[in-house]
Amino acid sequence: MKNFVLLLLFVLPLFVAAQDNWQVPTAEQEKLSPYVFDNDMVKDGEVLYENFCISCHGTVTKNNPIVFVPSPGDPASEKFQSQPDGSIFYKISNGRGGMPSFAPTLEEEEIWSLIGYFRNFNREYVQPEFDYGDEVLSELAMVLSYDPNVDKLVVKVTSNGEPKSGIQVGAAVKGLFGKFILGNVGTNEKGLAWFDVDRNMPGDEEGNLTVQVRAQEGYSIKKAEEKMQLVNPTERTNLIAGRHLWSKAIKAPIWLIVVFNLVISCIWGIIIYIIIGLFRLKKVS
Amino acid sequence: MAKVRNENTVLLSEEKIERDLLSNINWSNKFKIWFGFLTALLVVCLWFYVLQLRKGLGVTGMNDIVSWGIYISNFVFFIAAALIGMLISSVLGMIGYTWIKPISRIAEIIAVAFAMVAGIVIITDMGRPDRLHHVLLYGRIQSPIIWDISVVMTYLMLSLLLLYIPLIPDISLCKEKLTGLPKFQKKLYKVLSLGWAGNEAQYKTIKRYFKILLILIIPVALAIHTVTSWLFAMTLRTGWDSPIFGPYFVSGAFVAGCAAVLIAMYFIQKNYKLQAYITDMHFDRMAKLLVLVSLVYVYFNINEILVPAYKFKPSEVKHIGNLLYGHDSLLFWLVQGGGLIVPFMLLMIPKMRKPLPAMLISVVILVAAWFKRYVIVVPTQLEPYLPIQNVPESFHSYMPTLPEIAITVGTLVMVLMIISVLTKLFPVVPVWEMKEELLEEQHQ
Ligand code: HEC
Repeated sequence: MKNFVLLLLFVLPLFVAAQDNWQVPTAEQEKLSPYVFDNDMVKDGEVLYENFCISCHGTVTKNNPIVFVPSPGDPASEKFQSQPDGSIFYKISNGRGGMPSFAPTLEEEEIWSLIGYFRNFNREYVQPEFDYGDEVLSELAMVLSYDPNVDKLVVKVTSNGEPKSGIQVGAAVKGLFGKFILGNVGTNEKGLAWFDVDRNMPGDEEGNLTVQVRAQEGYSIKKAEEKMQLVNPTERTNLIAGRHLWSKAIKAPIWLIVVFNLVISCIWGIIIYIIIGLFRLKKVS
Repeated sequence: MAKVRNENTVLLSEEKIERDLLSNINWSNKFKIWFGFLTALLVVCLWFYVLQLRKGLGVTGMNDIVSWGIYISNFVFFIAAALIGMLISSVLGMIGYTWIKPISRIAEIIAVAFAMVAGIVIITDMGRPDRLHHVLLYGRIQSPIIWDISVVMTYLMLSLLLLYIPLIPDISLCKEKLTGLPKFQKKLYKVLSLGWAGNEAQYKTIKRYFKILLILIIPVALAIHTVTSWLFAMTLRTGWDSPIFGPYFVSGAFVAGCAAVLIAMYFIQKNYKLQAYITDMHFDRMAKLLVLVSLVYVYFNINEILVPAYKFKPSEVKHIGNLLYGHDSLLFWLVQGGGLIVPFMLLMIPKMRKPLPAMLISVVILVAAWFKRYVIVVPTQLEPYLPIQNVPESFHSYMPTLPEIAITVGTLVMVLMIISVLTKLFPVVPVWEMKEELLEEQHQ
């Protein structure tokens, strides 16, 4: 036992030192993102980062990861950014020691979006061109409409004017701080995908919602964002309108003003009556 | 009519009553020395107030965390002590207890003195007293502070009238009977007696007014201390956020008030030689009344402490712990045990209800009552819901400073001055009521 502890004492530092150098196979290093790191990609990455990574890696650029050996590091740091996209992809997918493996949890596209998010902090970074090879990227087009009979959002996907079937379409409603997913549906032979919409969702005064739709076939992605009249109009009330106990003096509740003044004037009325009576005391006989 | 006079009464006659009860109206040397002492003390305290006016509330121990210190505790105490007028004259008087007649004026004087100075105490807590009128100009009717100000003014007015109306016949008597008085005093009596002739109709009138006021003062007195309690209870703070704060404060007020009356009775009886009017019986009954109100107060205390202490809500753990066994526990147990439970138990022993012991016990109760207000006001503020962070070290606790203590003492001095002057200016025991009672007894 004692020997084992001693051994550990000697071996552990070596082990830790070895950990500093995280080798990634060359083939993996050269892997590139087939997706363009556009704004949407970066935003998706940010949400994922806040859900899965921030607890260990801290706020990006603040350099405040949790204390851990080896340190998780800040994704905006030189150590992170100097690596090729493929290395980062490999590390997130496979993990090591304290760094969990995210391949089972995240889609490849999601991991790429995380990398897109990290690269967003690096001004010098230029995304390398992905070689699509023989694959023909189809030009997808989408038309959004609303079917009031069934309360459904209808997305029609076409390519060169032809309806496309079997295409994965994701739809979501854009909110102030995130999105509300409507669903992920494949198109039918007419190129149509249907999404349930709850008419009680809060929209604006006219019942408009901003819908984000995304169709994907292979590496070919088409996104659309549209403001549509989908739900019941929301009646906005001014929160400080009306009379309240907590409001300004001139907005005091009527009942309070009435009760207060009634009580005070009754009592002071009696007081004044008595005082006047006292001044007339002389004449009483 | 209950027969409550002791055997001394038999020897009383109208002339003797007048002689006895008017004898205190003079500016004796003893009084001048006492008053001179109070004035000197007040001047010193005023000097500290000038200091506070010039330098601001920074001279006090209050800070961002504890923004209500001994000024507000003192205010609550004063309002409490002022409530006794209502209990004695009104509640007991209307039930038909005639034994309170000789001491009802003392109770009224105490009420007036404390209510008057309570208004001043509030001003001492203001950083910019020159903006006092802003309370009326910009105050919100929704705020308990506005209710408090209104009800304090109303109560003061009612108490003044309750003191003054039964005084009118006596003032007139002073005007006629007393000789060798300073000119201003004669003039004062003349103005205040309102052309009193002492006829039947006039007596009827003032008795009617008096009765109206006796009824009116009950809800107002309850309101004044309930609203004072709402200054605390209408917030969400631990230890204040309690629905029984109103009755809790009112019952506590009666304890403080009874004790104050007992103390005043003792010194008035001894100094003005009124043993024939303020008798052992009065001390005995007042002491019993004190036991009764103490019991009610103990009951509310048990509710106020035991209920949250049993539940130990996360937000209250620290506060209750502080009181029961933490930072403030010594003061807490001294006030609750030494200042409430032990005294009222002692008062249950007949011998302890004799004038001297009853007075001494009352002093303990009254002092404890003052500190009780401190225990209610201050510790709560040191347990805010958000942790106290990024503040100077001194903000983590509260300790009144010398100017603060001096100003508070100054307000107590003012109360003593008002009581002293009133008891020297007017008969402390209502002369005409004593005569009336004598007549009634002779009839029987
Ligand atoms: C439980 C804590 C933890 C979480 C959660 C975590 N990481 Fe890590 N991460 C680490 C640690 C520890 C290391 C250092 C591992 C090593 O060097 O052995 C690390 C290393 C990394 C590296 C390699 C850094 C370099 O300099 O080579 C990347 C890239 C990375 N993490 C990305 C992510 C991403 C993206 C997420 C979220 C999807 C994430 N991590 C979530 C703890 C975590």
